[in-house]
Amino acid sequence: MSTALLSIRDVHLAFGGLKVLDGLNLEVKAGEIRGLIGPNGAGKTTLLNVICGLNRPQRGDVRLNGVSIVGRKPSAIARLGLGRTFQTSQLFRGMTVLENMMLGLHRRTRTGLISAGCNGRRRRSEERAMEAAARNALSFVGMADLAERPATALSFGQQRVIEIARTLISDPSVVLLDEPAVGLSANRLSELDALLRKIRDQKGVTLILIEHVIRLVMGVCDQVTVLSSGSAIADGPPAAVRNDPAVIEAYLGRELSARYQAS
Amino acid sequence: MVAPFGRRNVLLALFAAASVLPAVANVYQLFIANLMLVYVLLAIGLNILVGYAGQLAFANAAMFGIGAYATGLLQVRLGCSFWLAFPAGALVAAAVGLAISLPALRLSGLYLALSTLAFAQATQWVFLHWESVTFGAGGFKTPPLSFAPLPIGKPLGLYYLSLALLVVLFQFAQNLVASRVGRAFVAVRDGEVAAQSLGVDLLRTKALAFGISGFYAGIAGGLYSAMLNFVAPEGFDLFQMVLQKSMIVVGGLGSITGSVLGAGLMIIVLEALRAFKGLQEIVFGALLVGFVLFMRGGLVSVLKRHVRGWEEPLRLPQRAPPAAAPRALEAAAGGAEP
Repeated sequence: MSTALLSIRDVHLAFGGLKVLDGLNLEVKAGEIRGLIGPNGAGKTTLLNVICGLNRPQRGDVRLNGVSIVGRKPSAIARLGLGRTFQTSQLFRGMTVLENMMLGLHRRTRTGLISAGCNGRRRRSEERAMEAAARNALSFVGMADLAERPATALSFGQQRVIEIARTLISDPSVVLLDEPAVGLSANRLSELDALLRKIRDQKGVTLILIEHVIRLVMGVCDQVTVLSSGSAIADGPPAAVRNDPAVIEAYLGRELSARYQAS
Repeated sequence: MVAPFGRRNVLLALFAAASVLPAVANVYQLFIANLMLVYVLLAIGLNILVGYAGQLAFANAAMFGIGAYATGLLQVRLGCSFWLAFPAGALVAAAVGLAISLPALRLSGLYLALSTLAFAQATQWVFLHWESVTFGAGGFKTPPLSFAPLPIGKPLGLYYLSLALLVVLFQFAQNLVASRVGRAFVAVRDGEVAAQSLGVDLLRTKALAFGISGFYAGIAGGLYSAMLNFVAPEGFDLFQMVLQKSMIVVGGLGSITGSVLGAGLMIIVLEALRAFKGLQEIVFGALLVGFVLFMRGGLVSVLKRHVRGWEEPLRLPQRAPPAAAPRALEAAAGGAEP
């Protein structure tokens, strides 16, 4: 347990009578890419919301680097080094790409009201450093030429990548990605695949991704966890999970899975 | 890149005109010009809260009133000099702004609008009915303001005091919105969930925006009370709020320069229509509806589209030529890397 970067223990969460997470356990080691898969309604997004503090579990514990983060504000958890992207684009529409990226450094910078308003030394040096870091991060994902564009002028796929880059810029230890591949064309998909590998290999960031595009999950993940009805029903390397009878049953139902196994 | 009619040059020209105005203006014109300065301060503060931080609050008229009342009452009731009462009044308004931001974390959109409106009405009620302190509906006179030992009269002294404060507070706001703090405001406006996930503390950020707008309104209130030498409840009612809102809508939400243009224009419209009493409200309503329907970004969005040099980036403006920049940037980036 001490080796896990993120450890989730017996987490329960119900919305009214609906048990969304039901005694869920998950351990993620530093440096791995963990896939979270499971049928719709299995509790995948809710699990991410619990980790990043948007939902508070009724029971159980979530530890990041050994520190319990249950009940903390999302902004406080983010400052501990947890990043997150969302299913729908969450770029700030009133900003350019570069300004969006600079917001990714919010937790790393300290310019306050007075220095900001009086154009103090800290504001000037931090602004310059933020801009340079933002341009570097844009180069890392191959989008340096989009820096001055308004966020609203990007294509869907570009918004996705910028959002990931904005999360990575502050060197988080864990990044949660909620369906990064949704709506991407085949070309964009292989670019995303390459980007995720590059992030793991060059940045050493631990990634946890929810994904329905099985090709991406099987290709890029070191470990896959299958959720069904709010708990983890299988855990292991992609190839092993793919053939787990419990997983096939969760996806196909008992009857179809029996036929599938027979064939 | 040369932009002769860019934002900077136009603002400098406006400042130059405002500086020499007292030499040519009569008493009435000087009063209106001073009123304009006061309203520009109000519009800048309100725009930070509504246009940048996206908090649809209706308490700014009340903050304006609190600044005026606090400045006036500290002089009349406690015998403070204006030079103490004025900054203290602004701080009181800022503190009240901070206090009303507490419900703002839980409320948004329509509910925030309604609760701040209720707060404004309650403030109005206090001005009217807490007679033992506020002198009630009739209002009260403030002591005459003197600029001695400076050899200038009150109207002229107050005008230049207002202008100096406006220049400082305009620049402060301009720097603020193009910084980490201002970008956090815009992030809260554009997406609270994403802002939080990047480490932006919603409560602190919203509270800051409310406090700043309260401070600007408080400064404006103090100046206004000194201009009139009189404070009464009716100046800080719902029409006052509509007036301020229309200024930022006409000028441009999310633009400090827009606040200047909007406030200036609306005061001119207001004064031009003073002779035709009923027309004021009609023209006002028409302007507000017209801008909301046909020109969402206000006057400043048109200028941004058609005139070079009107951009307002949310980061440090680039002054140095690009060729000289990279070395400095690299050094700064190296220093920031953990």
